[in-house]
Amino acid sequence: MLDIKNLHVTVAGKEILRGLNLRVDAGQVHAIMGPNGSGKSTLSYVLAGRAGYEITEGSMTYNGENLAALPPEQRAAKGVFLAMQYPVEIPGVTTMMFLKSALNAQRRGRGESEMDAIGILKTVRKKAAALNISEDMLKRALNVGFSGGEKKRLEILQMSLFEPKLAILDETDSGLDIDALRLVAEGVNSLRAPERAMLVITHYQRLLDYIVPDRIHVLANGRIVAEGGKELALELEAKGYEQIVKDAA
Amino acid sequence: MTVALALPTRRVEEWKYSDLARALGDVGFGDDSAEVLAGPVPAGVEVFALDEPNRPDWVKAHYGKLSANVVSAISLAKARGGIALRIPKGKIIEDPVTLDFAGKGHVRALLVLEEGAALTLFERCDAAETRNAGLEIVVAPNARLDHVRISPVSGVVQVEEVSITLARDAFYHGHFANFGARLSRIELAITLDGEGAEAHLSGVSVLSGDAHADVTTHVTHAVGRTLSTQLFKKVVGGNGQAVYQGKVTVAHGADGADSRQTAKALLLGMRAEADLKPELEIFADDVKCAHGAAVGDLDSDSLFYLRARGIPEKEARHLLIHAFLEDALTDVTNADLREQVRGAVSTALDQVAT
Ligand SMILES: Nc1ncnc2c1ncn2[C@@H]1O[C@H](COP(=O)(O)OP(=O)(O)OP(=O)(O)O)[C@@H](O)[C@H]1O
Ligand SMILES: [Mg+2]
Repeated sequence: MLDIKNLHVTVAGKEILRGLNLRVDAGQVHAIMGPNGSGKSTLSYVLAGRAGYEITEGSMTYNGENLAALPPEQRAAKGVFLAMQYPVEIPGVTTMMFLKSALNAQRRGRGESEMDAIGILKTVRKKAAALNISEDMLKRALNVGFSGGEKKRLEILQMSLFEPKLAILDETDSGLDIDALRLVAEGVNSLRAPERAMLVITHYQRLLDYIVPDRIHVLANGRIVAEGGKELALELEAKGYEQIVKDAA
Repeated sequence: MTVALALPTRRVEEWKYSDLARALGDVGFGDDSAEVLAGPVPAGVEVFALDEPNRPDWVKAHYGKLSANVVSAISLAKARGGIALRIPKGKIIEDPVTLDFAGKGHVRALLVLEEGAALTLFERCDAAETRNAGLEIVVAPNARLDHVRISPVSGVVQVEEVSITLARDAFYHGHFANFGARLSRIELAITLDGEGAEAHLSGVSVLSGDAHADVTTHVTHAVGRTLSTQLFKKVVGGNGQAVYQGKVTVAHGADGADSRQTAKALLLGMRAEADLKPELEIFADDVKCAHGAAVGDLDSDSLFYLRARGIPEKEARHLLIHAFLEDALTDVTNADLREQVRGAVSTALDQVAT
């Protein structure tokens, strides 16, 4: 589903990703771990299409299509979803109205008919309740004044509403309390499906107890330096990144 | 007696961003009188046409009494007509009363709210002709006025001065939606003259093409325990120019005055311009005054967030522009008038290349 080959990405004149290779097949959940500043968020942004990330070499293909050639909104319509590490606050746009606009924009982007407001409201309410997101939050301006955990839960609500094909979760577990972590993990697990792939970026092995990945990759200095099954997370926890990076060299 | 009726030049500080003499050209304002119609006038409201003889006492007591800027002095000297409205003591009027300004030249209006009266005033301006309007508003103790003015986009010069005096516990709420003209200026001179008086001002401007829109306010806290707030938002595209000059004066002895003013502009073109100038003049102690102004572009992180959620760029920009204006728009209290302002804003935004 996602095939990244020798990807080099420059941000503000600085090379951040330096020959990254990664392949995620449909139905799989992969985890990416790695030290601060290694390029994890850079990878997620470049996949989502944020401006200012220049691909100088290599390719990223999504279902056979060159992802770099698509504007962010088309990537979203085609099923790419990024739960951001730092969700943006947008005053003046209510959360509910944003969800409605986004869902219908994606549907239009796929050539589907729009969903009516009442239908969306019902669906959102149901999914929000499962994530412990209150009616009140949906009425407030998007992410404005939300706590760190509330922002992350709203990202997961979007994921469960948009039902993406490729979901990238950038440190969605950071800042969540234990109950919220379980809710989020349940949300993720309920979306696991043969036609869907997920890329979970995390610093904590704990999340991977709930969302058991098929494969774990270690990203350091803009490259994948180690790979393994779910036992790699335990090894990382025990040894730290420095040792793993050394072992791999 | 002769009055000096020269037009201000740009050398006059308050007219620095609005070159009135140049916009009017050789013909100036001329000597014509424009007109103003009020409707529907509910029972109990007294209306007097200012070109009629035998002015009643309440007109004599208030007409031409409030301080006037130089342009307002000209309309006072030259206007032959206009309208005066009196809302008697304790009279509460639910449905908005509309003032329609039309025609070319000078025109005056006077609105007197007696003690405990309440009114929603909706002011509309015909865009076709050059006009200089002067409006005086007297709000007696405990009276309340909600005022909404929409000035549509216009190719000519449209200038209005609104002078307002607020007595003890009087409440004024004004919203000014301005879509620009060759030169468009609304000047608000507000005096909080009794303890407990409040003035809340807000406004939006959406400008495209060569449109110019100037909102100049001067709020004077003459006594203490008075409150004023201001929130003005401007979206400027094309060669547009938005001006906000907001001066707040807290007089000597007006302790406990509270004033806040915010002006923000979103520039959507290389040649778009915004001149925002909040200003404080404080002669009292123990006052709370805050002001801020910001000129910027759309936030790129917000834009990316919306696009990453599937919302196409053009639509995302529109959403963010509406969001930028939202707090100023929700400030309009009357729901029908709020929808009218929203409609006018949407129409104007369609003209702005985003
Ligand atoms: N706009 C930018 N300008 C300059 N440097 C940047 C920019 N964005 C990211 N970087 C740099 O790129 C490197 C990788 O950043 P990135 O956010 O991808 O790291 P990360 O692996 O997600 O780290 P963390 O675990 O802390 O979230 C960092 O050194 C960062 O400072
Ligand atoms: Mg990161």
